[in-house]
Amino acid sequence: MDFDIPEELQLLARTVRDFVETRLVPLEKTIEDEDKIPVEVLKEMAGLGFFGLPFPEEYGGAGAGDLGYCLALEQFGRTSAAFSNVIGAHTSIGAMSIYLGGTEEQKRRYLPDLCAGERIAAFSLTEPSSGSDAASIQTSATLRNGCWYLNGTKIWVTNGPIADVVVVYAANDRARGPRGGISAFIVEKGFKGFRVGKVDDKMGLRGSYTGELVFEDCEVPEANVLGGQVGAGFRTALGALDVGRISLAAGAVGSSQHLLELAIAHSKRRQQFGKPIAANQAIQWMLADSAVEIHAARLMVYDAAWKIDQGKRPSLEAAMVKVYASEMANRVVDRVLQIHGGMGYMKESPVERAYRDARILRIYEGTSEVQRMIIAEELLKE
Amino acid sequence: MALERKDADASTTVSVVTVGPARSRDALRQALAMGCDDASLVLAEEPLSDLAVARALAKVALETKPDLVLCGKQASDDDQGFVGPALAEVLGWPHVSMLTRLVPAEGGVELWREVEGGHEVWKASFPVLGTAHKSEKEPRYPSLPGIMKAKKKEIPERPVGSLGADLGGPRLEIVALETPPARGGGKILKDGDMKAVAEQLATLLRDEAKVL
Ligand SMILES: Cc1cc2nc3c(=O)[nH]c(=O)nc-3n(C[C@H](O)[C@H](O)[C@H](O)COP(=O)(O)OP(=O)(O)OC[C@H]3O[C@@H](n4cnc5c(N)ncnc54)[C@H](O)[C@@H]3O)c2cc1C
Repeated sequence: MDFDIPEELQLLARTVRDFVETRLVPLEKTIEDEDKIPVEVLKEMAGLGFFGLPFPEEYGGAGAGDLGYCLALEQFGRTSAAFSNVIGAHTSIGAMSIYLGGTEEQKRRYLPDLCAGERIAAFSLTEPSSGSDAASIQTSATLRNGCWYLNGTKIWVTNGPIADVVVVYAANDRARGPRGGISAFIVEKGFKGFRVGKVDDKMGLRGSYTGELVFEDCEVPEANVLGGQVGAGFRTALGALDVGRISLAAGAVGSSQHLLELAIAHSKRRQQFGKPIAANQAIQWMLADSAVEIHAARLMVYDAAWKIDQGKRPSLEAAMVKVYASEMANRVVDRVLQIHGGMGYMKESPVERAYRDARILRIYEGTSEVQRMIIAEELLKE
Repeated sequence: MALERKDADASTTVSVVTVGPARSRDALRQALAMGCDDASLVLAEEPLSDLAVARALAKVALETKPDLVLCGKQASDDDQGFVGPALAEVLGWPHVSMLTRLVPAEGGVELWREVEGGHEVWKASFPVLGTAHKSEKEPRYPSLPGIMKAKKKEIPERPVGSLGADLGGPRLEIVALETPPARGGGKILKDGDMKAVAEQLATLLRDEAKVL
């Protein structure tokens, strides 16, 4: 049992923290107003290796493992959620699908550019009629003359509108269901029959792009069937989602920690009834409860990430930390807004943004209800 | 500043060395992560005099024979600004302090320093020592892959006593540290007309402040 974070990962986290505070925090307002992350900033992040954190060096990654990646995302949680969202969708589910499910040739062909941030990845599973029940996807994949043709519409694809490489999940044989009937395809921007549809206008996560992807007889060479294995897509999707759920929780921990710090500072500063509001037990308990829950979620994140780095597949832990950390983050931001009073409701306060940003955590990468289904299934398994 | 030279000319080798306690490794690790080629620690758990530090560093410089040694302009704790110039003195090398920029030049280097209203440009042949004020650019962030790679690099360490440098010499000791006395609040004169106020002011300046 060793809870010490290795020295180099501490340095990594400090570096990200410093970058977030000096480069990203000052941009929060612009990002919120323009609903866009400046391109130069994404370039700078790419140059520093922020787009390939968990992957081994041989594929151009930083070799920081899942723990290093989560420590970084925890720090990214301290600013606009757009950043952890863009990095998360790119890394934990987009590029990760290729890393987990790809052939050696596919990994060598795609991962170096993705790790360098020269190309951006997305993960595309959800459809208008298939959300929580992801195995029910309708987008079809048909093989004709050595080429796959995809037909269908995908929605709410994070990074979809800016992605150069999209891992698309489609049904090659609906009768066979999730095991055997769903395949993953590596689709590049510019493939014939592939286009970006509507770009969504969201409650929060402003600055990150989410949108529709349309496939009309989209031509995908056979070499781009992920892993070269028809019908193996669903397992890859679930593996990538395990990583995604853990890293999403890491962002939730970082954001909650930052909010708690804001609430502590505000409650000591704000005077009512002749004393700081922090002198009231009602406020103190909100702070204490938040600190307890953040600590618990953080340990759950580190534990699950560490298990990934040990080569395990902690699907149960991933579901647990996902539901716990996302609901924790919603409770914390609600208390923190309450502690800020009217000030927290104003657009000029980072708490207002955080409140909107936190809500998505309970929905994407599997809703809270879906996580509980996964956990209960494991508990009740014979 | 050193890494900017390396960016411009990849054949440059940037080595970092520090004399200090074991925890100085963190700073060396950071330098490696930013892109320095190698780092070494001269271990001194007890604080040394500035002159002893300069002499120890001189031994290292004589071993590694660099063209250029860059030091910080001053330590952030005691602000003495002594080690850099002292090291140049021990080595018998020329030195230019408070650099803002380095430019390669025929047979040596141009050393820029900021002066009131402009720049002073010195030219020196190698070897030379400079103390860095502050580059025009902010120090770079270490890249995250750089941090992970730095982990694999050894940071050799040797005790300061093994260098054969004279570690004696005068030591400065801080005998007292005081905060400036708290200032009393100002006074606002507002009773009476202009003339009365002026009179009060003159009286106060003479009798209380004793400046007249
Ligand atoms: C901003 C954003 C970004 C996204 N990014 C991506 C992406 O990059 N890639 C991608 O593929 N998808 C993405 N999604 C889709 C996301 O994963 C889905 O929204 C999510 O899985 C839920 O599906 P749904 O919205 O269709 O809800 P539904 O499945 O319609 O569920 C509606 C409600 O019913 C509940 N429910 C459903 N079934 C059950 C049940 N059996 N028992 C109890 N309750 C149930 C759900 O928990 C939920 O509360 C994104 C969504 C958003 C909003």
